[in-house]
Amino acid sequence: MNWKKSARVLTLAVAATATMGLNAQNVDSAILRNPPPDSWPGYHGDYSGRRHSALTEINTRNVSGLTLEWAFQTQQNGVLKATPILVDGILYFTLPDHVWAIDARSGHQLWHYAAPQTKAFHIGQRGVSILKDKLYYMTSDAHLQALDAKTGNVLWDVEVADSKKGQWATMSPLIVGNHVLVGASGDFDNLQGFLRAVDPDTGKTQWTFYSTPTVDTPRVAYSGNMWMTGTYDPDLNLIYFGTGNPSPVLNGKVRPGDNLYTCTILALDPETGKLVWHFQPSPHDTHDWDAVEIPVLADGVFDGKPRKMLMQASRNGYFFVIDRTNGKNLLTTTFGPVNWTKGVDKDGRPIPNPDKEPAPDGRLIAPDEGGMTNYRSPSFDPKTGLFIVSASPSYSLYFNKPADGAYGWAGADYGLWSKGVLDAIDYKTGKIRWSHELGQRAGSGVLTTEGGLTFTGDSAGNFLALDTATGKTLWHAGAGGQIASSPISYELDGHQYILTSGGNVMFAWRLPDAPAATAAKRTPTAATTK
Amino acid sequence: MRLRSRDILLTAAVAAPAMLFTFSRMTAQAPRTPAQRPSWTVGSQGPLPEHAKFTPQQAENGGALFIQNCAFCHGKDAGGGETGPDLTRSKLVTGDKNGEAIGAVIRNGRLDKGMPRFSLSDTEILNLVAFIHAQQDASLSQSGNRRGVDESDLHTGNAEAGKKYFEGPGGCTQCHSATGDLAGIASKFSGLRLEMQMLYPRDAKTKATVKTKSGQTFTGTVEYEDEFTLGIRDSSGIYRSWPMTAITAKLDKPVEAHVTAMSKYTDDDIHNVLAYIQTLK
Repeated sequence: MNWKKSARVLTLAVAATATMGLNAQNVDSAILRNPPPDSWPGYHGDYSGRRHSALTEINTRNVSGLTLEWAFQTQQNGVLKATPILVDGILYFTLPDHVWAIDARSGHQLWHYAAPQTKAFHIGQRGVSILKDKLYYMTSDAHLQALDAKTGNVLWDVEVADSKKGQWATMSPLIVGNHVLVGASGDFDNLQGFLRAVDPDTGKTQWTFYSTPTVDTPRVAYSGNMWMTGTYDPDLNLIYFGTGNPSPVLNGKVRPGDNLYTCTILALDPETGKLVWHFQPSPHDTHDWDAVEIPVLADGVFDGKPRKMLMQASRNGYFFVIDRTNGKNLLTTTFGPVNWTKGVDKDGRPIPNPDKEPAPDGRLIAPDEGGMTNYRSPSFDPKTGLFIVSASPSYSLYFNKPADGAYGWAGADYGLWSKGVLDAIDYKTGKIRWSHELGQRAGSGVLTTEGGLTFTGDSAGNFLALDTATGKTLWHAGAGGQIASSPISYELDGHQYILTSGGNVMFAWRLPDAPAATAAKRTPTAATTK
Repeated sequence: MRLRSRDILLTAAVAAPAMLFTFSRMTAQAPRTPAQRPSWTVGSQGPLPEHAKFTPQQAENGGALFIQNCAFCHGKDAGGGETGPDLTRSKLVTGDKNGEAIGAVIRNGRLDKGMPRFSLSDTEILNLVAFIHAQQDASLSQSGNRRGVDESDLHTGNAEAGKKYFEGPGGCTQCHSATGDLAGIASKFSGLRLEMQMLYPRDAKTKATVKTKSGQTFTGTVEYEDEFTLGIRDSSGIYRSWPMTAITAKLDKPVEAHVTAMSKYTDDDIHNVLAYIQTLK
């Protein structure tokens, strides 16, 4: 037996007792609220959406030595878009129609659940959520399934939306208290957007918040689908969710006005689903710019005053800082070329320019339909005050004519040019402190760590570790596939791991064990200090 | 030729072709015979489609697969969706007889445009082909105003004003000439394809001159470029790559001027220049 293996067996034994506190049977509200370092129990890690790890073992001085610990090949069609969750040393992650449980130490598969095939869109699956001993999984045809975390067996299945009407699902549910919060996607049809709270034990609906009126209501916007995992402030007891674009999508003439609550950030009471406040990043959207991007929660000084803030880098090209206690705007700025507005109103909302609505002979629009950013997570680094987002400056042509009708897409748009750049935005000023080119439009989310690092990926499939302070590359590795998920980090057996995906493969990275000679010298010291 | 140092290259916009999304929509309307087909449909851009015969069951099975794997980008009816082109107006689909062209795209993806590879069985691919052919056939047989962008929608500009812009503030003549490289361009491309080509000719190559530390110089077109590696192909087709740290590279990216122009154009400017370009037959 070589040193590395024997040493790991020893540390494993120690760690087994140390991590007993976190057991899959006991993922409760306290753990979801304050995740221990050896866990990543929800989509964002904690509830804040900052996707920031307090771990420091891997840092700016040693990240250049980061090495592969294991890779897990799903051997399925598709590109991983899921954020894995980690509980009790077990990772759970998904592709459409597939859920895996694997050993976080070795990448060894414990179980694999293959859901029945459905006719719904299979564009992505963003992960499962956990409470107590159950995993919550959204099927592609918009059912919520509770799985036994130990086996992957389906315990119950409830329909969240009717996929025959055109809805599908990709989201990782947000779990708050005794509520599993779920929504669905779908703007190829005129549908009613919603967020639903489901009982974690029985699957029964507790409440439903509708973002738009029923589809028989004339001259209003439909859709406003809520398809991304929201965030939660336990002290204010508010959940924050963004809503999607209105439909008909590119035809705004048949739905005059702001089209509330589409393209809107909502603060809701998790117990009742009652709306507490709202802020609309894209009034009367005609470009498919969902405002579902992560509403990131952070506390800090703004204009000299301590503030509870919510920040969003929105698909429409604007970055917003909002007081999350009341929804009042603190800052609105752009983070790339934007040409569709006539400025910003007194409440901090962009004013759409009617001349930039899709037209029969086309309108040049920046950004494009994919947006300046999209669902992949940004990250907020508290030490530097930087909001770091993977951005896509872009131009496109938007068309709409009477023959396009007033149902579903109702128009056409054509991307002309785009590129990828990682922007570090100073939240106090909205100014971009540094930018890091990523090639073409990149698909990776962002993780920051207390070790001063920013993890993301470029469009060529390189995993990148950057110095958060400067944006300089400190480490990279080729993934051999498209990077389309957001990284996570956790500690196991005293070592920090970084988890990234490329194509349909999950990669676990850590620092190598110290060489045997050095380690042997260290062992007595380590033993006495422990 | 605009020369750029390696340092600029490392921080500058990567001008490799961006994901290009083309799509529009179609509706099922009253059928008409191919002979009566409106002149602006896809058939006018190439030979009439000679699609192989498939069974209705194949097309139906293909439709289910299409919804799962393709519809988000290409639309439920293959008439265009989020980020993917309208397949019913696709020349590749028009020219496809028995799945040879469509199958290759499904298997290999179009990674430069954001389309992934799909590992599907031969049967599944043929079913998809049956569905896509059926959607195109239905689309070509319709009459009246069709969803999506037609050639006839793109004649709102003023050619005289466009010529002035082309020769003046647009700065187009710094690289182009109506009697030189653009002569006959409107015979080669038409409709939306011409407009998109005008706004951003995404196939334009980036030329590179690479100097190695040992003092050797290589020239060619850029085939691969990221933060760490540059790969070029020379005029005899040989591919070479280097770590960025080992070379100084001068890149000539003429297409960047089109990106700069996009921040300056008004919509009227675009329509006027297009009207002018449309006269270059």
